[in-house]
Amino acid sequence: MAQFKAHSVLPGFNLALGFTLLYLSLIVLIPLSSLFFKTATLGWGGFWEVTTGERVLASLRVTFFASFAAAVLNAIFGLVVAWVLVRYTFPGKRLVDALVDLPFALPTAVAGITLAMLYAPNGWIGHYFAEHDIKIAYTPLGIVVALTFIGLPFVVRTVQPVLADVEAEIEEAAASLGASRWDVFRRVIFPSIYPALLTGFALAFARSIGEYGSVIFIAGNMPFISEIAPLLIVSKLEQYDYAGATAIALLMLIISFILLLAINGLQWWSNRREIR
Amino acid sequence: MSITIQNLNKQFGNFTALNNINLEVNSGELLALLGPSGCGKTSLLRIIGGLDVQNSGKIFFHGKDVEHRDARERNVGFVFQHYALFRHMTVFENVAFGLRVKPKKERHIETEIKRRVHELLQLVQLDWLADRYPTQLSGGQRQRIALARALAVEPQILLLDEPFGALDTKVRKELRRWLRRLHDELHVTSVFVTHDQEEALEVADRVVVMNKGNVEQVGSPDDVYAHPASPFVYQFIGNVNLFHSRTHALWTQQQGDAVAYVRPHDIDISLIPQQSSLPVVVKQVRAIGSVVRLEAAIGQDGETVEIELSRERFNITPVAVGDEVFIRPRQIKVFEA
Repeated sequence: MAQFKAHSVLPGFNLALGFTLLYLSLIVLIPLSSLFFKTATLGWGGFWEVTTGERVLASLRVTFFASFAAAVLNAIFGLVVAWVLVRYTFPGKRLVDALVDLPFALPTAVAGITLAMLYAPNGWIGHYFAEHDIKIAYTPLGIVVALTFIGLPFVVRTVQPVLADVEAEIEEAAASLGASRWDVFRRVIFPSIYPALLTGFALAFARSIGEYGSVIFIAGNMPFISEIAPLLIVSKLEQYDYAGATAIALLMLIISFILLLAINGLQWWSNRREIR
Repeated sequence: MSITIQNLNKQFGNFTALNNINLEVNSGELLALLGPSGCGKTSLLRIIGGLDVQNSGKIFFHGKDVEHRDARERNVGFVFQHYALFRHMTVFENVAFGLRVKPKKERHIETEIKRRVHELLQLVQLDWLADRYPTQLSGGQRQRIALARALAVEPQILLLDEPFGALDTKVRKELRRWLRRLHDELHVTSVFVTHDQEEALEVADRVVVMNKGNVEQVGSPDDVYAHPASPFVYQFIGNVNLFHSRTHALWTQQQGDAVAYVRPHDIDISLIPQQSSLPVVVKQVRAIGSVVRLEAAIGQDGETVEIELSRERFNITPVAVGDEVFIRPRQIKVFEA
């Protein structure tokens, strides 16, 4: 540690590092490790039994697939929203900009109830789909709708500043070299915003995996079909099966960690190609 | 390819950026648009390149109206002050960009693209940097890459917007000589924008001096420096001393309101009064390289005059701060006020 300190002109390295470690321990590491310890009371056999239960596996599938689908949707349409907010000026732009943050601020239960009402077969939006025999609320589709609502700000807010940073001159240069609008987007703009888009995607994805409040109202919560893993954890807690609940939580934690690691790896790889 | 500009106007809201510009750029010449910031020179360049649209007036390339051709169809190479290189692409890919986005029928095969890019990189003497990324290069190198990129599509016209504005003095001087040599090799019609008079006078075949959206003077560098057409050009190009007819009627030789313009190096000094000379008191003596710059005050009100002498001339008549000397103009230009 001494040699790190020797090369830095910034004072207080030891203090800052010490504080960071303490803070992270208190806020993140200790709670998470207690998760491990609680799960450990089950033993390997117990852990295996809980986590490979049919119902648990089905709920994990629902959670991760719905989250992934919602994150993909958000990546696409969040990019469009960010594009519009950065590139164009129109009356009420400030208001639209503020609207994007609403999913952050709204209590998730309120969002869930509202969405469930809208997308129910007799709801405002739901009845149009019901005419074509498409059910949204109380199906996995409803889960995707709720998670898309929750995740939108993550993509918009990470892409927006990066997109604003892409200089107009770069696009002009590309145009004067004869590039079509599509070529300009594909070869010049997209590669510049792609790392930010990936970050936004990862954030929306991670947020969706843990989402509980908004989903349970719209999902219908039918086991094996539209039951999400966080709900299963809560129901285990309600039955005072703390070890079982933590076992599922631990499994989710591990899968999420691997996925986020993979996304980070992808980002590292794409950044390496563009050494700054 | 020649460029003809007729009655060109451009407004940004209430601000007139270009006021009825008429200009002819000859085929194969290197033309400088010179003026202070906000004079409209960059707007003019961008309109020629199709990056901006005029409010009225016409532009012809080789006699053909280009109104309905946007930037991608004008076959114009554009070089920006801040390089505008694609950061996520290697130097090679940056230069190859224009070749890769050509419509399928016109696109070259990969080996031909490779050959062309390396040829261009050799032309700008940076072949050894092909695999680097723009952020790994110095400013001067980046601008040369930007130039190679612009030349890749074999433009009929090359437009450069303050190409050396972001570089330090030494690199700037090197690059503008290099640009001059390159132009002598390629003979592509080029227009470049600058606010640096030295740069314009050194590099260009002809100089267009602009002010507040108007063309003040068009001429060879020599012409513009030696025979300024207006007080603005006189003041913008080189240092100048002003003598008003009310106080120095002797020099302006006019009855009405007039101002005499005298360059610092066109003033001679002597220790004794001569015909039509002015007494001044030396306030400052500064030797800068091969010249000695004097600052002197006229009479009681202390109006300052700048005088520039060669070192030899100064050694013949050495003066010190506080001395009274007599000045006389060798060359003078009078404009009515």
